[in-house]
Amino acid sequence: MTRAVSGSTFVLRLYMALFFAYMFLPLGVMVAAGVNDYSPPSITVWQGFTLRWFAEFWGDARMWLGLANSLLIAAAVMALALPMGLSGALLLSQLGRRSAGLLYTVMVSPLLTPGIIIGISTVIFWRNLDVTAGLFTAILAQSAFIASYAMLMFMARLQRQDLTLEEAALDLGASRARAFRRITLPFLKPTIMTAAVIAFLQSFENYNTTIFSIGGNHTLVTEIGARMRFGISPMINALGILFIVVTVICAVAWAALRRREYQLESVK
Amino acid sequence: MTRLFRAFGAPLASVILLLSGVWILGLIAAPQLIMIEQSLWRMERPEGSAEISVQIDGLYNRLDVIGLDRSVAESETDSAKRETELAALAAEEAAIKAEIAVLEEKESTPVKVYTLDNFGQMGSAHLAIFAKTIVASLAVSAIALVVCYPIAYAVAKLETPRTAAAIMLALVIPYAINELLRIFAWQMILNNNGPANALLGLLGFDPVPFLDSGAGVFVAMVYAYILFMVFPLYNVLETLDSNQVEAARDLGASTWQIHRRVVIPHARPGIAVGCIMTFMLSAGSYAVPYIMTRGTAAPWFTQLIYNRFFEATNWNVGAAYALSLLAVCTVFIFLMMRLLKVSLKDIAK
Repeated sequence: MTRAVSGSTFVLRLYMALFFAYMFLPLGVMVAAGVNDYSPPSITVWQGFTLRWFAEFWGDARMWLGLANSLLIAAAVMALALPMGLSGALLLSQLGRRSAGLLYTVMVSPLLTPGIIIGISTVIFWRNLDVTAGLFTAILAQSAFIASYAMLMFMARLQRQDLTLEEAALDLGASRARAFRRITLPFLKPTIMTAAVIAFLQSFENYNTTIFSIGGNHTLVTEIGARMRFGISPMINALGILFIVVTVICAVAWAALRRREYQLESVK
Repeated sequence: MTRLFRAFGAPLASVILLLSGVWILGLIAAPQLIMIEQSLWRMERPEGSAEISVQIDGLYNRLDVIGLDRSVAESETDSAKRETELAALAAEEAAIKAEIAVLEEKESTPVKVYTLDNFGQMGSAHLAIFAKTIVASLAVSAIALVVCYPIAYAVAKLETPRTAAAIMLALVIPYAINELLRIFAWQMILNNNGPANALLGLLGFDPVPFLDSGAGVFVAMVYAYILFMVFPLYNVLETLDSNQVEAARDLGASTWQIHRRVVIPHARPGIAVGCIMTFMLSAGSYAVPYIMTRGTAAPWFTQLIYNRFFEATNWNVGAAYALSLLAVCTVFIFLMMRLLKVSLKDIAK
């Protein structure tokens, strides 16, 4: 900005700095307690640096079982939600305005519904069929709304598709299925990758829907929630540090990828 | 439909229809409908069960009388006569016992009765919690909007695109970090011997029981969901043409007028999405009250729902409570869409 920093810009800058402090300081508190050699987690009593809470997590069988359940659920959700979301988007792309509008409303409704309602309604439905709540119902409940995310992403991509390519393939004698496999799917590939990552993260990190639909089982995140309530061991903070590290790596990688994509498109 | 088959060919179109059907009907519509149905009935003692129990009492009396008759019959000296009388009594006793069994079965087998009473179960205590949850969620939305609007505007319009991208990336990090961790950070801060109370102590104040008073729930909720307001606002404000703002200023509009007449009307879809998300997440949050109260403060409505299902195991009342929450969220969405004149298409972008 060439203009001199005016009074109101200064106020805005200060406000933004405060907002950033508000966003990051609480996370800093949590990180600090994760390496403080004092239990229960605290930063007001400082006993020195330690990594023993990480070791405690390492030896916790319930956490590992939760992690295994989380990964299993996330894999199943990806396998279910991506094809459903893609089908939904393809179906919408071929429907008339009015019927597409109604269908679209139903397809995005899970995103506007509180997660606990999706969870509990799935459990009620399957109990009527004598299926008790467990990993299976958690997978279905999560897929219901994660497919909506996938559908929106595929729809955005399909709207940018160059239909002449597909028509050319058909003119050259390709069958519909072949044209879809050779033209549309490769075009959708980048979106399939991002949608898979989003689906995985949404599933892995989910709490509200999962806690209402998983019955007596647990995932890593629901187990963390149960331990947090009484905040007994800084092991939770150590786990939090791991989550933060992974999140930062993912965010930076994502930004780098987007930048490369952006540069590639501007080169074209 | 024919267009679908023409576009993809029969095999592929069938797969698309099947998968969409499983999703829309099996995972979205059917569970919701079954939940609604479940909220509308309950198992009751059958009608006239009082009369049946009087009848049963009468039959038991009859059994006692038969017992007396039997002892009389047993003292009969003529053995042939005694045998026939005893046989007749035994037959009658068996018949009465069978009738009692039928009636008792009828008396105790509950029948499914459709009723709106599940909603009436709420009572004034639960109704107050329901109202508190709604009001607090509205307040979370309002606070988030007021706090985030200047941030989103400043980043989108006053910073260079490069700086703006860096700032938004920095904000993605707390946004992407698990909800539970963000909540837990505040549980530590507001704990009785946490830094907030330590700071108050330095200033000479007595410790404040943030967690036990329920104030902690609200603080953590604002923190956990505020970023769901920043991103939608930023996304719409980024598309606002700065020339419009310049033009308004050149025409002599004050800062207030520029925002009221140019920026806010442009930001409507973002405001709608932000408010809907923050409200829905707050009203439907189970994690925040669960972690921030440790059961010492009055519950959030979601906790009541959880208890109906998994502790009181009254699924019919639970379904009615869940449906009430869903209804409030739906009404809120329609209100926002009406008020800000946006369609669902704008919202789901």
